[in-house]
Amino acid sequence: MRKLHPLSIAVRSISRSVNVGLLFFIAGVFASPGGAGGTLVSVGGMVLLGIVVAVVYEVAYYERFRYELTADTFDVASGVLARRDREVPLRRIQNVDVRQPVLSRLFGLAAVHIETAGGGQTEVSLQYVDEEEARRLRRQLRRGARAEDDEGEESASETRDSSPDDEEELLFEIEPRELAILSVFTIDPGASLLGGIALSFLSGFDPSTLIPADLVDGLPGAEGGLVALAWLVVLFLLAAWVVSAVLTFNRYYGFRLTRGGDELYYERGLVQRYSGTIPLEKVQTLTITERVPFRWFGYGALAVETAGYAPGQGSRGTESAIPLAGYDRVVGLARSIEPFGEVDLEAPPKRARERYGVRYLLVVGALVGAGYLLTTATALERWYLPAALIVLVPAAAHLKWRNRGHQLGDRYVFTRTGFWNRTTKVVPYYRVQAVLHTQSIFQRRRRLASVTADTASSASLLGRAATAYDIDDERGLEMQLEIEERLQERLRARKRERTVGEWFQHDLSNDESAGDDSE
Amino acid sequence: MERLNPRVRVVWLFLAVFRAGIVGGFLVGAALVLSETGLWANSPDLLVPGAIGLAVALGLVRIIVAWRRYAVWRFEVQDDGLYIERGVFTRIKTVVPYVRVQHVDSRRSPIERTTGLATVVVYTAGSRSADVAIPGLTPERAEQLREDLRRLAIESEGEDAV
Repeated sequence: MRKLHPLSIAVRSISRSVNVGLLFFIAGVFASPGGAGGTLVSVGGMVLLGIVVAVVYEVAYYERFRYELTADTFDVASGVLARRDREVPLRRIQNVDVRQPVLSRLFGLAAVHIETAGGGQTEVSLQYVDEEEARRLRRQLRRGARAEDDEGEESASETRDSSPDDEEELLFEIEPRELAILSVFTIDPGASLLGGIALSFLSGFDPSTLIPADLVDGLPGAEGGLVALAWLVVLFLLAAWVVSAVLTFNRYYGFRLTRGGDELYYERGLVQRYSGTIPLEKVQTLTITERVPFRWFGYGALAVETAGYAPGQGSRGTESAIPLAGYDRVVGLARSIEPFGEVDLEAPPKRARERYGVRYLLVVGALVGAGYLLTTATALERWYLPAALIVLVPAAAHLKWRNRGHQLGDRYVFTRTGFWNRTTKVVPYYRVQAVLHTQSIFQRRRRLASVTADTASSASLLGRAATAYDIDDERGLEMQLEIEERLQERLRARKRERTVGEWFQHDLSNDESAGDDSE
Repeated sequence: MERLNPRVRVVWLFLAVFRAGIVGGFLVGAALVLSETGLWANSPDLLVPGAIGLAVALGLVRIIVAWRRYAVWRFEVQDDGLYIERGVFTRIKTVVPYVRVQHVDSRRSPIERTTGLATVVVYTAGSRSADVAIPGLTPERAEQLREDLRRLAIESEGEDAV
């Protein structure tokens, strides 16, 4: 059994102490607004106590933590108060992620996270091991310890075993231009908060200092206030935008995607380094996203979805992706993972477009109504102004309609939706879990239906399953049947392939007299 | 196509009335607090009667939906998969291939036990697994269905789902 790296005590203690210390510091600040000396000393004592407890806990954690890679399982024994022994079958491992936050990177350490399907969280987290060990685990985890032992014992098999790694084929490397476009146009949700904090620090916690007083004073009372407000909003947006660009740049700096054997391997990050493997045999769904400013430049993004990430882990389910590349390259890469042919999507019937038109008309109507209510309560006039948006309704309905489509291919279902964030999903039939045919009352009025091919992909937990929206309801029923039939057909075909493969492997291993169990 | 046991309407109606009572009680209570304690200085006279009316209307909608749900619900144990049709407002037709069934549960809530009914829940590895529950079965039928589904799932011999 192996242990974590001894320095991990230091790293874990520091990060835990910072957290605990910050908590006590904030509590202290709120509890003693007067800032009397006595309370400061007691708060300091509390913080110190918290730190000591944290360090003791981390030493115990380190002492208790053992892991081992065996021929077909990964065993972990851990826990300070409640002990836990786990055996993860290697065949069940989905993604392996290696993360190096700033602090652990300074110490030359890395955290290894192992994801399996099911369960509410990351199955195993090794915090922290050294970089060399992280690399070894990343390479060996899905193959088992056997390969590793061979490596140590005989040099002949070492070259054979390590050759796939050495010959990792570079699939994608982000170019400076792509990184620049990505940074400038990506809106990071956390950025607005950070931007706000940065602004308040700049202004010395007094927003009024940010307002150009000489400009505002020249204007009459009420309008001066409006200008000041607008100015603050602009400043805030600017700060959020800059922060967002910096965060995105940091996140995707040096993005590389390589392929070694049956695994994809990505790495990225400027300050923190992130890397990980995506097993190709575990791919549930491919998602090609063309967000609006990027689509106009001819760019798209690719996400490779597995069942590995638990819900509530935010965007991590789609982390294993190409952040931005020319559309042709994105499709090419997607094809190298799942060899799908030409995509020729079938549009929804024209009456779906009418439906969107009616929907947007209702939205405009609601806006006019809200405007009317607003004019009765405030000094504002011209409640009918929002009605001008009617001009946009036909265009909006048409665009929504034009960006939707679906296709049943030989081996894959394709669905597409979204104007602002056009998402094309490629689902292999054999990955489909259930097929849903749904019809809202509004869809029933127009004989429309939506068909969803549900998979075990963790991204579809966030309501992003592959759905063909607003197709003819009869066609939808046929489609549901067809997906189900093709699922059975593909499963039978794969089973045949597997059986033949097993015979073949069996013969091979007999020849080599390695006695390999061909499971 | 198999229908549910008609007694399931009792379960649904009970739940509808119970939930309508909670929501309605909250609405009327909030209206009373606002108008009686003077939190809202000159609240309109119709506030409390309006709240009562709204609560009753919402309750009626719930009751009608609960009644209608029985008329829509259907399921069938087909050759390759379990087929389910349901939904009053949004009608959903689901096919769950037996190859994809991970495990099958039968469960009985207190109301179901008093009405002598049971629910069979079919789990898949998919993200919408909670959607596949068949309520309103007699305990015998539930037992039999669970056994059938289990057998069909084993016979179908799928590969690993994930």
